[in-house]
Amino acid sequence: MAVKFFGQYLVEQGTITMDGLRNAVELQEKRNLKLGELAMEMGLISVADIQLAHNEQMTRDVKLGDLLVDRGLLSPAQLNDLLVRQKNNHLYIGEALIQTGALTETSLREHLESFSATQAIYAPTGTRLPITTGNDPLWEMCLDLTCSMVTRVLDLKHRPGTCMPITTIHPNHMLAAMELQGDVTARFIISVSEKLQKTIARAMLSEWSVEHEPAEILEDTVREFANVICGNIAAKASQAGVVMDILPPYTVQVPPAGLPTPDGYGSFIFPIHLEDGDTLELILLIQE
Amino acid sequence: MTRVLVVDDSLSVARQLEKIISESGDFTCVGHAKNGAEAIRMNHTENPDIICMDMNMPGMDGLTALRTLSVMDKDVKVVMVTSLGGVGDKFTEALKLGAKNVISKPFGADDVLRILREL
Repeated sequence: MAVKFFGQYLVEQGTITMDGLRNAVELQEKRNLKLGELAMEMGLISVADIQLAHNEQMTRDVKLGDLLVDRGLLSPAQLNDLLVRQKNNHLYIGEALIQTGALTETSLREHLESFSATQAIYAPTGTRLPITTGNDPLWEMCLDLTCSMVTRVLDLKHRPGTCMPITTIHPNHMLAAMELQGDVTARFIISVSEKLQKTIARAMLSEWSVEHEPAEILEDTVREFANVICGNIAAKASQAGVVMDILPPYTVQVPPAGLPTPDGYGSFIFPIHLEDGDTLELILLIQE
Repeated sequence: MTRVLVVDDSLSVARQLEKIISESGDFTCVGHAKNGAEAIRMNHTENPDIICMDMNMPGMDGLTALRTLSVMDKDVKVVMVTSLGGVGDKFTEALKLGAKNVISKPFGADDVLRILREL
């Protein structure tokens, strides 16, 4: 057992089929409109407004609704109305499974209880570091911002796992790193599977398929994804009065036995569990 | 056609920029340099009207190249490309050195073309 989404758990338990889950997810997608989609459906904004806002969101850590209000495209009252409608009409996966006939109300309650029990040990600690580094809010911001970029650049739902200290960096399909230097010194690393590398490549290249892309382009997109995250981290740190320069991203080669973390650094791994079952690992090596 | 030189160590970013520029109808891409030193050389050989240059590159970075270009060639217009989100010392320095604008990564075609057309 690992960190799971409820639907995935039900499939693995044999309670529902993959097709049953797919039908329920499709129903959710039809019913659970994103804020921008809802605003467009209500005739408050245009497709062009959304595109502009999304482009701006890639470089600004601000929610879409707040951005639309900032740009004068929505009034605060309209935003509030949209958020209330979105919340009141949200269809959860359990309800979707009932509506598509995959589960009964009774079995949903039973399975939710057992799911909660199995997942309790994976309850996230938020973005709290397990030990203090002296700059905890800064590094916690790194973690939060990485999650934000997973949502905004990759458009993937995710669930943060528990942050743990590490002494070894384990191999993966690819690890991309950036050095953060200035008032603080750290190494920012993201570790991705082959599947996640392709997901990142599709998002960064704005392409539907990357199957025929050469390996060097696929690798480059992961480095650029790290660059985008670290650029945002440096920008946000700057707003908080912390000067932080970023050096160009590079690929980390990890031997099969793993790479020991350097002396004099506090080293942490922060798993971000993605909706498709994959995991993006964020590794921070923070100079003490 | 306005001639644009792309300068970025990232193959994927350079490819995206080249595609946006070549599909625009009013700009043409005259080449791709992978660092600041190559950019200075290609500015001499390709004589672009605009240089779209990454700020953060291995070897000679974008700011160092901009400093040189601003002295060597007063006509070329340089737009910096960065993931730094429009704040910070590098951004300020780029503007002081004469960069005409800054394109934030990741970018869309509309952002890039709007900035290039405003030059």
